[in-house]
Amino acid sequence: MDVGKTRWLILIYQLPREPSRHRVAVWRKLKTLGALYLQDGAAVLPEDAVTREQLEWLQLKVRESGGDATLWESLPNTVAEDRELIEAFRVSCEEVFRKVIEEAERLRRRAALGSDGASLLDELGKIEREFRAGRRRDYFRSPLRDEAASILRETRLVLRGDGDAAGSADADGVAG
Amino acid sequence: MLWATRAGCHVDRTACVWLIRCFVDREPVFYFFADPLEAPEDAELFDVAGARLSHRGEDCSFETFLKEYSLTDPVLAEIAEMVHDADLMDEKYGRPESEGLDAIIRGMQLALPDDETLIRHTDVIFDGLYTYLSREVL
Repeated sequence: MDVGKTRWLILIYQLPREPSRHRVAVWRKLKTLGALYLQDGAAVLPEDAVTREQLEWLQLKVRESGGDATLWESLPNTVAEDRELIEAFRVSCEEVFRKVIEEAERLRRRAALGSDGASLLDELGKIEREFRAGRRRDYFRSPLRDEAASILRETRLVLRGDGDAAGSADADGVAG
Repeated sequence: MLWATRAGCHVDRTACVWLIRCFVDREPVFYFFADPLEAPEDAELFDVAGARLSHRGEDCSFETFLKEYSLTDPVLAEIAEMVHDADLMDEKYGRPESEGLDAIIRGMQLALPDDETLIRHTDVIFDGLYTYLSREVL
């Protein structure tokens, strides 16, 4: 039967060339969701209640913008095709996590050179937000996700000036 | 009154359920369908494409409810911002709570067997949020 295959949602859509803002808005929303294009006008996401809902609204948006859209639930024909798609999703997330790792390491170097910890913490906050946005669309747990998460954790400790005092940071958290 | 929406509720629909129960209809009955064709004819649909109480322009359904029923409570307006950001993920209001709300309700949806059970739990969450924000408003 369907053992080992992922259930996918595919949004097939077409929008008038002008005005281009509708095409951009739909593309941007799909990017936020972490969807991949199988080809022009055919975007895919793994099926769950949230992706289904988001794509339903997007389908409506396309129609309201004067385009056509149909939403399909599907299974790839072979397990190999399924795995290929999963791998493509993982790779698409790696870019974000790699950037997060690089930026966090840069902050740590600047901290080591004596930059002001408070302003570095602000910058770290931005990187952490990027990480969370990336994690939301990391449907298949890219290997780099855990690495990025632990580097962010360590960087925060370093910037707070208690690099090897993870225990005291935990104690702060208990106060609430 | 009978209210119907799609099954598999997330932030926007669970928030609407709570809003209906607390501010619109004291004795609501909710029906969750897999396909719009299964919706009872006499039900008021919400958060369903094409319904009166649904996404409209940039608004999520919760925001549409506030406008349709002229609910001007500032606490509800704040909850609407959180629901909007969690539902549409566009950071329109930059509400940090939306990420937590999103994670908690997504998780509940996975952990609980059906929408009836889910809304019993999410009602408590929104009650808590409302009480907390009311205290801040005073």
